[in-house]
Amino acid sequence: MTVRAQDLLLGLVPLALVIALWQALVSFGYAPATLLPPPGLVFRRLAQQLTTLTFEQDVAATLFRLFAGFLIAVVLGVTIGIAAAASPLINSAVRPVVRVLAPLPKVALYPALLLLLGFGHGSKITLVTADALFPILLSTYYGASTVEQKLVWSALAAGTPPREVLFKVILPAAAPSILTGCRIGLVISCIVVFLAEMITSTDGLGHVLVTAARTFQAVDMFVPLITISLLGLILNGALGALRSYLLRGFPEV
Amino acid sequence: MRSRFIPGTRAAPWLACLGLLVLWQIAALALKNDSFPTAWAAIRAIPLILADKEALINILASQRRMTIGFAVAIVVSVPLGLMMGRSRAVASFFNPLLMVIYPVPKAALMPIIMLWLGVGDLSKTLVIFLGVSLPVIYHSFEGAKSVEEKMLWSGAAMGLSAAQRMVRIVLPAALPEILTGCRTGLVLALITMVTSEMIARQSGAGNILFNALDMGEYDLVFAMIIIIGAMGICLDAMFETLRARLVRWSEPQFDMPLSFS
Repeated sequence: MTVRAQDLLLGLVPLALVIALWQALVSFGYAPATLLPPPGLVFRRLAQQLTTLTFEQDVAATLFRLFAGFLIAVVLGVTIGIAAAASPLINSAVRPVVRVLAPLPKVALYPALLLLLGFGHGSKITLVTADALFPILLSTYYGASTVEQKLVWSALAAGTPPREVLFKVILPAAAPSILTGCRIGLVISCIVVFLAEMITSTDGLGHVLVTAARTFQAVDMFVPLITISLLGLILNGALGALRSYLLRGFPEV
Repeated sequence: MRSRFIPGTRAAPWLACLGLLVLWQIAALALKNDSFPTAWAAIRAIPLILADKEALINILASQRRMTIGFAVAIVVSVPLGLMMGRSRAVASFFNPLLMVIYPVPKAALMPIIMLWLGVGDLSKTLVIFLGVSLPVIYHSFEGAKSVEEKMLWSGAAMGLSAAQRMVRIVLPAALPEILTGCRTGLVLALITMVTSEMIARQSGAGNILFNALDMGEYDLVFAMIIIIGAMGICLDAMFETLRARLVRWSEPQFDMPLSFS
């Protein structure tokens, strides 16, 4: 426990250093406050913004798109991944398509999505799904195809119907890998939803940043960036807690 | 549940490409939407872009920025990741900082970096560098962490210094994992390149794409999407060939790429 606390303290050092350097740059006049507002000002502004309704609505819009896109990606990714691992036929159909689509820069598809689905939630949620899908799909596939064959055989020998083997053996055995994929997918969702909102949007954190950049309000540019970073940390922490709850029977993974 | 070898693996990606294009063509014909051209119309518009000398120079300039950003990121991130993997203190020093930076979209830093460094090559390359470094650091870290202790002990017993052990044992042992990170980083470099140019709207492939969108030249929009997509797929395939040569000795892991944004 003390070792963990030591590690945590050590980790806070670079964060403190960055903030100190930031403050020093402003205080010693290397950077004008209009370009680089002092950290105190930015955090005060953040605290102040968090109580205003418009900012809360922006955060809510971002979160809604993030979760919608991410959840669709989880459902699709896990289903396709398991199906591809279970059936050679589906595998031979999915594999080449994934090979082509996974390295495609999905952000470049965004103009096409805009033209097809309009400027509302639809196009942004689709983009988030498209980007978060592949890490989840690939790690599900990887997890499910490395399940030990003996486990499946034992379950079958013990009289489990083949249909139930999926839920009782394969899904739990692939869970650590699936959750790793979800974690990558979640971080990606944070990034993509922000980018999509920066490109075209009338609300959301990305829109706040773009508006601030257009009017040269440096303070307001830092606020959404810090907010998305905090959101990412919180969501990551929540997923980590969910993971250790779901995997409580597993050896350290 | 082991996946079996499927014959005709080489042709499969091409077939998949063709299938997707056919699907696109059918969807466009069925929807009959003005802003959704058919696949064939988009393919015919590709020569229009590539024949334009200015556009070609722009695309090449984008690629140069991407290459520089990618190369610098690898040079910095791999040693950092390896050191984090071998030393607990270094890891706990950098981990929280990286955790904080991770969910921030690197291209979103563009407006701020532009204020300091201008809209030129430097700020765009810096953003690409930032985007590529994180996955490379992460994968090098994971790779170095899982190096077998026994090999390091044997190395130490044979009189290798700490630095020598790093270069001669940890680096090769972590190489497959590092290359997985580099592959992710490569796709990321492309994505960051497009988004940074889209925000800085001065030159480059992303600029051509979003200018065409603003002008309502939908054929060009989709043609540019095909060009950028093809760049992604070609770079990935090239890297995969290189990787297969470098780590021929290791067991194949993912044969499919993990893409980030």
